[in-house]
Amino acid sequence: MVENIVIVGGGIAGMEAARQLLKLGYSPILIEKSGTLGGHVAKWNCLFPDLTPARDIVDSLVSDMSGVNVFLNTEIASINRLRGSYNIMLTNGISVITRIILFTTGFSLFDASKKEEYGYGVYNQVITNGDLEQWFNNGNDPRVDDNVRSAVGFVHCVGSRDEKARNPQCSKVCCITAVKQAIEMKQKFPDIAVYCFYMDLRMFGKKYEDFYISAQKDYGVRFIRGRVSEVAENIEGKVIVKAEDTLAGKPVKVTLDLLVLMAGMVCNPDCSKIANMVSAPLDSDGFFKSRDNVANVISSSKDGIFYAGACTGPKTVPETLAEARSAALEIHNYISAI
Amino acid sequence: MRERFLSGYNDFVLPFMIGMVFILSYCLVGMIRIILQLPKDDRKKFFLSLVTPSIILKNIKDIFLDCLIHVKLWKRNKLLGYMHSSIAFGWFMLIVIGHIEVFLYTPNRAKLFYYPIFFRYFVAETEHTMKGAFFFFLMDFFLLVVLSGIVLAMIKRLRSRFFGMRRTTNPSFLDLVGLYSLWAIFPLRLLAEGFTADISGGSFLTKSLNWVFHSFLGDHVNMLPTWWAYSCALGVFFIVLPFTRYMHIPTEILLIPLRNVGLTIRNARKGFAKAQVYSCPNCGLCIDACPMGVLKANIRDTTVYLNRQIRRNNEARIEEISDKCLLCGKCSVVCQVGIHGDQLRIAQRSIRKYNISPDYSNIDEKVLLNGCNKFVKQPNSNVLLSDSEKVMYFAGCMTALTPSIRKSLLSLLDKAGVDYEMMDRDGGLCCGRPMWMAGRFDQARQMVEKNSAIIRDSGANVLLLSCPICYKIFKERYHLEGIEVIHHTEYLERLVRQGRLDVMKSGTSFVYHDPCELGRGCGVYEQPRSVISGLGKLVEARSSGPESICCGGSLGSLTLGFDKRKMMTENALENLTAENPDVIVTACPLCLNTFDRYADRPVKDIAEVLDNQTTKK
Repeated sequence: MVENIVIVGGGIAGMEAARQLLKLGYSPILIEKSGTLGGHVAKWNCLFPDLTPARDIVDSLVSDMSGVNVFLNTEIASINRLRGSYNIMLTNGISVITRIILFTTGFSLFDASKKEEYGYGVYNQVITNGDLEQWFNNGNDPRVDDNVRSAVGFVHCVGSRDEKARNPQCSKVCCITAVKQAIEMKQKFPDIAVYCFYMDLRMFGKKYEDFYISAQKDYGVRFIRGRVSEVAENIEGKVIVKAEDTLAGKPVKVTLDLLVLMAGMVCNPDCSKIANMVSAPLDSDGFFKSRDNVANVISSSKDGIFYAGACTGPKTVPETLAEARSAALEIHNYISAI
Repeated sequence: MRERFLSGYNDFVLPFMIGMVFILSYCLVGMIRIILQLPKDDRKKFFLSLVTPSIILKNIKDIFLDCLIHVKLWKRNKLLGYMHSSIAFGWFMLIVIGHIEVFLYTPNRAKLFYYPIFFRYFVAETEHTMKGAFFFFLMDFFLLVVLSGIVLAMIKRLRSRFFGMRRTTNPSFLDLVGLYSLWAIFPLRLLAEGFTADISGGSFLTKSLNWVFHSFLGDHVNMLPTWWAYSCALGVFFIVLPFTRYMHIPTEILLIPLRNVGLTIRNARKGFAKAQVYSCPNCGLCIDACPMGVLKANIRDTTVYLNRQIRRNNEARIEEISDKCLLCGKCSVVCQVGIHGDQLRIAQRSIRKYNISPDYSNIDEKVLLNGCNKFVKQPNSNVLLSDSEKVMYFAGCMTALTPSIRKSLLSLLDKAGVDYEMMDRDGGLCCGRPMWMAGRFDQARQMVEKNSAIIRDSGANVLLLSCPICYKIFKERYHLEGIEVIHHTEYLERLVRQGRLDVMKSGTSFVYHDPCELGRGCGVYEQPRSVISGLGKLVEARSSGPESICCGGSLGSLTLGFDKRKMMTENALENLTAENPDVIVTACPLCLNTFDRYADRPVKDIAEVLDNQTTKK
C-alpha cells in the first residue's frame, strides 16, 4: 500500500506501532531526533516487576525495523496543512506528504535541579533515577562509585504531584521504580541501609505489591512515610536528609552516602512546539489532549492525528506497547474507511 | 464698596450653614475620638509634638505641600498633580481671599460664617470706586484655576488612561453624590457671581460673563435661585462628605501630625489605623501598583478597597482582603497619603481568634547554642576568644531550601578569610517573621526571644543573614545591642570594597531584582547593585528599586494558590527581562525559588554569581 504514515518519535511506542503497521502491509516513516532508537527505555537497565533487561525489549523492536524508513537525527522543521493531508518538512531536507501522523513523542524526565531543596546539581551525592539506571548500565559514575558506603536514600515524587514544581500529575511509575532500584542497590551492596521517603505508595500494577513486600521482607528496605523537607551536606561529605515520619509523628534526620531523586514524567517540551504546528490541543497537564480520555485516548480531535504512549500522559512500558498496537490498528481502520 | 442689605442675611445661606455646622462638629468629634483611641504613650507623644517647634514647622510644611500643593503627586504624574492642586489650593485661596475681603471691606460682618462665601451677593460696588478690583481679580483667577481642575476631573472620570492610570476605583453611590456636588459647586459659583457682577462688581471672568450673556445674566429674577443652588451644592457636599472618599480631606490634616510623631498601628481599627483608613482618597494608584492586579479578579483586594471595607465594617471581606495580600508593600510606596496597606493588613490578621495556638516556649535554646558556640571558651560563659570580627551566619529556613546560596556564601566567607560560625548548620529556629506576617505576634515573640538568647550568648558581634525575610524581623523586632545585623548583599559589598575578595569582571549582563523585604522592607538598594556592577554589565528592570514587582512567591499571602501566583511571577519576570539580560540576580531565596520555576534564563542569588567570579586571595 502506498499510504504514507509518519511516526514522530523512535521510542518503544513509535517502534512498536511501526512494527505493527509493517505487518499490516504499510511502510511507515519513523522520525527520531536523536542518533539512536529506543528512547528512554534504551537508557534503562532493568524493568519492573520481573527485572527484565530493557535491552531485550529495545533490541527486539529495533531488529524489526528493517522495512521501516527510519530517519535518525531528524526533527520536524514545519508542518503545513493541505486539504485533507499534511506536508511535513524535515530538518534533513526531505518533505513528506501524508494523511496520517502518529505522535509517539513521549515524555521528558523532570529537571530535578528545579527542586533546589533536594540539592541536585549542588551536592555531589545527589543523583536522579535516570543517573542511577545509567550507572547500572555502564557502572561508571563517580557520584555512586566513590560515595556508597553505608546508606542510600530514595526520594519519591520529585516533580510529581507537586504544584510548586508545576506538575500536579502523578508520574505513575516512580513508586515501583524506586522499589526496583532499592532492591537492585541492595543486591549490589547487601550491607548498606536503604531508605525510601514517600507520600503514599501507588502499587497498582500486576505483581507490584508483591515486589514492594519483597523489598521490605527479603531486602530490608526501610520505607518512611513523609516528604523530605531539606537536604544538607556535612563536613564528612555526606548528605543529611531531614523529613517527617508522618506515621510516627516525629521528625527524622538520616545521614546518607547517596540520595536518589525519583524524578517524574513531565510533558516533552517538543509537544507544545509540534502541537502548535498542527494546531492540536494540549491538555491542562501539558501533554497532548486525546479526543476522549476514556474511550479514545489514541485519537486527537484533528483528523489524521494519532497518539501512542507517554505523549498523552505518564505510562508504563506494557501500557505504552499496548497503546502503540491499538494505534496501529486504529490507523489501519482509518485508512480503510477513507 | 457698600453693603446691599442691612440685615446681612438671606435664607439661601441656610443649606450651606447646616452643612458647615454638621461637618465641623463631625470632624471635631471624630478627631477627639481618634486621639482618645491612641494608646496612652502614643497620645502623650502626640501632645508633646504639638508644642515642639520643629515638629510644628514640619506639620505645617507637610500639610501645605501634601494637602494643598500635592507635591508627591506632581512628582509622579504632572497632570494628576495639577488637577488635585488646582482644586485644593484654588479652593483654599478662594476661602482665604474671601476672608480678607470681609475683613477689609465689611469688618462688622467678620463674625458671620457665611459672609466670605457669599460675599458678592451682599455687597455692591460702582464702576468708579474700583476698591475691590485687586481682590476681585484674584478671586476670579483662583475660581478659574479651580474650574480648570474640575474640567480635568471630568475628563479623568471618562478617560482615566488619559492620565496614565490603567485602572481606577469604582465610586460608591454616595461617592458619586459627593463627586457631582463637588463638581457643581464651582460652576454654580461662577454663574451666581456672574448674575451679581453688575451689582457687586467682578473681574475678568464674572464681569465678562455678565456682559456677554447680558440678556440672561442681567435678569435679576434668576439671581436668587442660582445663589440658592450654589449654597445647596455646598450643603449637600458637606453633609455627604463623612460618608464618601472626600473624608480624606479633613482626615489627612490629622494624619500628618500623627505620622510626624512616628506612630505605628497598634490597634487594627482604632486610633492611627482609623486615621489612615479615613485618609484614603480612593485615588486608585495602589490598583496599578498591586502585583495581584494581573488577575482582574484581584483588583477588589487592593488597599483602597480594604480601606473602603473597613469603613463599612464588612468583616468577611476585610478578612479575605487581608489574608490574600502578598505584603509586598508596593501600595505603601506609591500611596500619596502615606497609608501602609501592609501594616493595616497585618493588624487585621492579628485580631483573629485561633482555636489552637502553638507554644514554642519549651524549645531548649541551650541545645541549639551548643551547636554554634565556637566563639566562647565554654558554653554560656560569655568569655570571648578574641575581640575581632566574629560573624554568626543564620541561613534560615528558606536558605536551607536553596542549598546553592548557603554553599556559595560559605565559600565566599572562606575565600575572604572571615571568622564565622553557622547558627543553624544542623537546624535552627524560625526567625519569627512568617508568624509576624500572619498577625500571630505572641508566637513570633517567642521565637524572637529564643533566637536573641542564642545570638547574645554565642559571643558573635556580627549577625549575617542571607534571607531578607529574616533580615527584616531581625532589624525591626530583635534587640541585639552591640551586634551588627547585616544582610549578605551589604556584607558582600563590604568584603569587595575592602578588597578581601578578588573579583573578575565578565561580559555577562545581569538584572537585579529587588526583593520586597530587602528593598521596600529595609531600604537596601545600592549595595547589591554595586556588587553586580563589578561582575558584569548591570541592566535595570522596567520598574525597579522601590517600585520593583513582587515575585509572587511571598509568604505574606495566606490564601493565594499557585495557579494564581503563576501569572504574577510571569508578569514580574517580563518586567525584569525588559532589557534582555543574560542572568537574573536576586538576593532572596524565596524570590530565587519562585522565579526559577518559570524563568527562561538562569536565576541566581548574588552570592552564587559573586562566588563564580571570585578567586581565593
